[in-house]
Amino acid sequence: MTSLARDVAVVGVGYSQLSRAGEPEPLVLLLEAVKGALTDAGLSGTDVDGIFEYKFGPESPGAQDVARVLGVPDLAAFADILPTNPSGLGGVLAGVMAVASGACETALVFRCLTRAAGHTGGVVDGPSTVAGRNQFLTPYGYLGGILVEMALKKRRWMAEYSRAEEDFGHIAVNARRWSALNPRAVLREPVTMDDYLSSRVVVEPLRLLDCDYPINGAVATVITTAERAADLRQPPVLVDAMSYGSGRGADWTFNNDYLYGGTFDCADRLWRRSSVTLENVDVAQVYDGFTSVTMSWIEALGACGRGEFGDWIGDGSRIGPGGDFPMNTAGGQLAEGRLHGVSFLNEAALQLRGQCGDRQVPGARVAVVASGLYPQCGAVVLTSG
Amino acid sequence: MTHLTSSTADDRRPVPQPDEITRFYWDGAAAGRLLMQKCLSCGKLQFPPDVCCLSCQSEHFGHAEVSGRGSIYSYAVVERPLHAGFVDALPYVIALVELDEQSGLRLVANLLDATPGTRLSCGQPVEVVYEKREGITLPQFRLVEVSR
Ligand SMILES: [Zn+2]
Repeated sequence: MTSLARDVAVVGVGYSQLSRAGEPEPLVLLLEAVKGALTDAGLSGTDVDGIFEYKFGPESPGAQDVARVLGVPDLAAFADILPTNPSGLGGVLAGVMAVASGACETALVFRCLTRAAGHTGGVVDGPSTVAGRNQFLTPYGYLGGILVEMALKKRRWMAEYSRAEEDFGHIAVNARRWSALNPRAVLREPVTMDDYLSSRVVVEPLRLLDCDYPINGAVATVITTAERAADLRQPPVLVDAMSYGSGRGADWTFNNDYLYGGTFDCADRLWRRSSVTLENVDVAQVYDGFTSVTMSWIEALGACGRGEFGDWIGDGSRIGPGGDFPMNTAGGQLAEGRLHGVSFLNEAALQLRGQCGDRQVPGARVAVVASGLYPQCGAVVLTSG
Repeated sequence: MTHLTSSTADDRRPVPQPDEITRFYWDGAAAGRLLMQKCLSCGKLQFPPDVCCLSCQSEHFGHAEVSGRGSIYSYAVVERPLHAGFVDALPYVIALVELDEQSGLRLVANLLDATPGTRLSCGQPVEVVYEKREGITLPQFRLVEVSR
C-alpha cells in the first residue's frame, strides 16, 4: 500500500571507497558508486532512463556526465538538484516521483562529495559588499556556511528547554557506537560523553563533535517499479511513503519555527501518507549533519513531544545497538562520513534486506529516513517487500 | 540614540549593499532610527524587508520606527577566523535579537560591549546602538544595564 501512483522500490545501493585524505577525482569516485549500485541490482547502464543528483557545487559530476560514462541510451527524466533541497535525499525523492509517475522506469540517484567541497570551517575572503538577504547576516560575521546558525540553534535549544549539552552529546556518542560495527565508516574509534564535552569549540557553543565529518566519497541508489523489482537480484525494498516539507516562512534564520523549520510539516505529511506508524518502525536513519538537526527530527517524527528529546533520550542507549529505537546504524554523517542523505537511504535499504552484518537490527521490516534540515526537509518510509 | 564608531581605515569586514527593498532600513540606521516594514493591510512588522508581507502578501508597506529595545533570543561567540575580513574583529558575539514590539520579530547583530568573558544568557535585555562602517551605518546592540 502506498500513496504513490505506481508502487516504487529501492533495488540497488552502491558506494565508492570513503576516504579522509587525498584528492580523488570526483567522477572516478562516482563511477565506482553508480556501477556498484547497478551491479547490486543486477542492472546495467542501458537499463537506466532517469538520473537525479543533489549538487552543492562544481565538485559533483552532473546527471549527463554519469549518463555518458554509463552508456545510458537516453534520459527520459533527469535533474541536477540545487542545495536548497532536503540534502541528498532530494535526489531520491525526485527519483521516486519520476518512477511513480511513469516519467521514467529506472532512476539512478547519487551524491558525490569531496573534502575540499565539504569543508566549511576554513577562512574565506568574500566580496567587500553583500547583497540580497545576506546583507543582514554576513556584515555581522554570520559565517562559516551555516556554522554560526547551528551554534545559534544549539544555544536556543538549551535555553528554550533548559537542557544541557549532554543531550547533543548522546547523538555524537551513538554515531561511533554504530560506526565501530561498519567497516565502511571513516571514524570508528569510540567517543565518550567526556570526549564530546571536551571536543574543541567551532563557534561557541557548537563543538567539533556536533558536526559531521567531511570525506571523499560517492553513494548511489537505483529506484524502479515494484513490479520490475520482483525480477531483480536483491530482496525488494518498497517505498511506502515520501514527503517534503519547508514550513511557512521558509528561511534558516528568520523563520516561524526557529528550532524545527519544516520538520514537523514534513513528518506529519509522511505519516498521513504511510501505511504504518512510528510504532512499526524497526530502524531509523535521521540526518545528523549537526546533532541539533537529529534532535529536531526525533521530536517531529513523533518519538516524543516537542522539547522532550532530553527526557526521551535518557542515557542514550535506546538509539544504540540493542536499543528500542536503533538509529543511524551505519554511524551517520558524524562517523560513516558526510554523504548527504543518500547514505541514510542506502543504509535503511540494507537493514531491510538483512545485509548489515554485525550492525544488523534483527528482523527489521520497516525503516524511516529523514533528511535535510530546517526549511529543506524530506522523508521516506521503506518496508521490506 | 548612540553612535559607536568602531571602523578603522583598514576595516575589511564586508558591508551591506542596499537595494530598492532594503535602502530605507540602512538610510534609517544612518539617521539613528531603527525602521521596520509595517504592513498597511494587516499591521504586522517585518524583518528582513521583503517584496511583500509574508503574512498577508500585501505589497503596501509603511516604515515604522521601533524602540530598538529587545532581548537576546540566541547568541554565539566566534573566536576562530572564518573570514579574512573579521580576523581583526575576533572574538565577537553574534546575537539573534527579538525586538520588544512583536513576538518573533528578530534580527542578527553583534553585541558590541560583550566579550567572551561577559555573562550572557537568552532573554537578557538589549538595546540598539549604531556602528559606522565604510560609508554605511549598521544597527548593532548592547546589553541594557538592568536597574535594581
Ligand atoms: Zn500583511
